[in-house]
Amino acid sequence: MRTGATDARPRNSTAESRLAADGVNFADLAQETRVHSAVYTDERVFEAELQRIFYRTWVYVGHESEVPDAGDYRVRQIGRKPVIMIRAKDGAINVLFNRCRHRGSTVCQQDAGRVRQLKCWFHGWVYGLDGKLIGVPEDDGYGEDFDKSAYGLARPARVESYREFVFASLSDDGPALTENLGPACELIDLMVDASPTSKLLVDAGVQKTVFRGNWKLVGMDGYHAPYVHASVFEIFKKKADQGAGATHSADQRNIVTTIDLGHGHATIDHRVARQRDSTRYFNLLKTTPGGKEYINQMRETYGERSELLLTSAGDPHLGIFPNLQLIGNQIRVVVPVAADHTEVLAFPVRLGGVSDEINARRLRMHESFFGPSGVGTPDDTEVFERAQRGMQVDEAPWIDISRGKCREVRNPDGTIIGHMTDEVPQRGQFRAWRALMTDV
Amino acid sequence: MNKSVSQPDQSAPDAEIADLLRRWHVERFLLREACLMDNHKYDEWLSLWADDLLYWVPCNSEDIDPVRQVSIIYDRRVDLEMRVSRLSGRYAHAQTPKSRLQRVISNIEVLPDADSLIVTSSFVLGEVRMKEEVIVFGRSEHILLPQGDSFLMSRKKVLLLNIDKELPNIVYLL
Repeated sequence: MRTGATDARPRNSTAESRLAADGVNFADLAQETRVHSAVYTDERVFEAELQRIFYRTWVYVGHESEVPDAGDYRVRQIGRKPVIMIRAKDGAINVLFNRCRHRGSTVCQQDAGRVRQLKCWFHGWVYGLDGKLIGVPEDDGYGEDFDKSAYGLARPARVESYREFVFASLSDDGPALTENLGPACELIDLMVDASPTSKLLVDAGVQKTVFRGNWKLVGMDGYHAPYVHASVFEIFKKKADQGAGATHSADQRNIVTTIDLGHGHATIDHRVARQRDSTRYFNLLKTTPGGKEYINQMRETYGERSELLLTSAGDPHLGIFPNLQLIGNQIRVVVPVAADHTEVLAFPVRLGGVSDEINARRLRMHESFFGPSGVGTPDDTEVFERAQRGMQVDEAPWIDISRGKCREVRNPDGTIIGHMTDEVPQRGQFRAWRALMTDV
Repeated sequence: MNKSVSQPDQSAPDAEIADLLRRWHVERFLLREACLMDNHKYDEWLSLWADDLLYWVPCNSEDIDPVRQVSIIYDRRVDLEMRVSRLSGRYAHAQTPKSRLQRVISNIEVLPDADSLIVTSSFVLGEVRMKEEVIVFGRSEHILLPQGDSFLMSRKKVLLLNIDKELPNIVYLL
C-alpha cells in the first residue's frame, strides 16, 4: 500500500537541532546499563523521538476486527498525527491521514463510527472509503488541468498487518513488518490462538487513561509488581482461586523469564510457569459455562499445542516497541503526547468461538486490575508520575538499568534471556531506541 | 389560640405527604453516602450495601452490554470487598496521600418501584491531590431497598460525563 504522498517528512526538528547545538548526543544519553533522565524529561528529546521513532518505524494502529464492515472507521494517532483506519467497499483496510487535501481540516471528527464517504465540511470536499477525492463542489473554479486523482487523502508510506494487527510506518525504508516483529510473532500468536477459531474480537470498547509522565515508563517490568502492586499481592494471598490469583503465584518469580526479542520488543515469559500451575486455571475454566466445550475445541483445533495455548490464557505479556503491549486480556496502546504527558488505551479482547460467559469473565478480570479504577493500573500510574517528578533532579541524573546484566544469556538466535526481575526488557528497549535515534 | 391563623392544609393528599417524606429520607441517605465517600469511610460505606449488589461505572457510553463490553467498574460483592479492603490497607499508592474530596448532590428524582426506589441524582465532585485539582461531573442511579427508616443500596450505576475521554486515576469512591 503505497501512494505518492510520502514526501516532506522532516527528520530534523529545530528542537533537536538545539539539542545537538548543546553538544548532546543520543548514544551518550542512552547507554547499555544507564539512561540519562533527560531521555524522559526533555522536550527536545521527545520531539526527536516523534521524528525518528514514531514517524519512521512500525507503529500499531488498530485491529482489523474493529472495523468489520465497509465504512467502519477508527481514528488513531501516530505521534501527533491523526489517522483513520477504515474498511473500504472491497474489504481492504485503509489507513489514511485525517487531513483534507484542500485546506487541512480533519475529515473524521469522532473516534469511531460508520460512514458512506468522508466529507470535509470546511468547503465540502468528499473522499471515498479508499481515500480517493470524489467530489469538489463548484469545481468550475479549478482549471482544466486540475487532477482529482492527485488529491486523495495521504497515506503512511507502508501499512502491513500481522494476524489482523494493523501497523503503519511513515518511512519507505526499513524492514518489513514481520521481519521487524521477528520472534515476537509467536507471542502475538498466543493471544490470537487462545480463540479456537483463531479470531480476536476487538469490539468490547476501550478504557482510556492519561498520566503526567513519559511514554517509555509504560514498559515490560517484571521487578515492580510486589512493590507497586503490594496491595494486590495482599489480596492474592487471601483469594488464591479467584481472578488474577488463579493465574499468578508468588514462586513463579523464579521460573518466569524476561526475553529481549530484538527491535525493542520484549516479553515477560510466563509460558513454563503457567503450564506448571495450570490446575487452578483449568478448574476456573471448567466451572464457567462453556468452559469444558472451550477446552475440547482447543484440543481439537490445536492438538498438542492446545495445552500451551490454554494455559497462556491469551496473555503473551508482550511489549512491541514503541507503542503496543499485549498484557492480560488486552491490547494496550501507548500514545505519546509530550515528554511528561502520555495517554494509554486499553482494549480488552473477546475470543471468537467461545461462550459469552467465558468472555464476560475475562472482561471482569480485566476491569478488576486495569483501567482508571482498577486495583492495579492506578498504582502504576501513580508510580510513573512519581518517577517523572523525581527525574527533574539533575544531580545524579542516571537511571540504572543494569539489573541482571551479570547473568543474562544470549541465545543463538540473538534473543537475550534473563530472570523475571531483570532489566533485560529495558536494555532491549533502549538498544532499539539508540539505534533509531542515532541512525539518521 | 387564634383560629384564623392558617393551619397546615389538612386537605393535602396523603400521597403528597408520603412523597415528601420519602424524598426527605432519600435525600438524607444520599447525603450521608456522599459524606462517607468524601471522607474515605470505606467500611461504613460498604455497610450501606445489600448482600446482593452491583456497583457499576460503564465505560465509553451509558448503554453498554456488560457481558460483551468493558466497564470502568463492574463490582459484585466479592469485588467491592476487595476494592474496599485494598483502599483500607497501607499500600494503595494511588491514594497515598489520599485525595481531598467534596461533592455536591442535586437534581434528585425518586421513582417508587415494587419493593424498591429507583433514585437518580446528579453530582459535581471536586478532587484535590498533590498539586492537581480535578472536577468530575456525573449522574448516579441508585436502587434502594427500604430498611427500617433508611435504605440499603442493591445497585448503583454511575454515569461519568467524561465516560469516553482519557481519565486520570479515579480510585476514590463514586
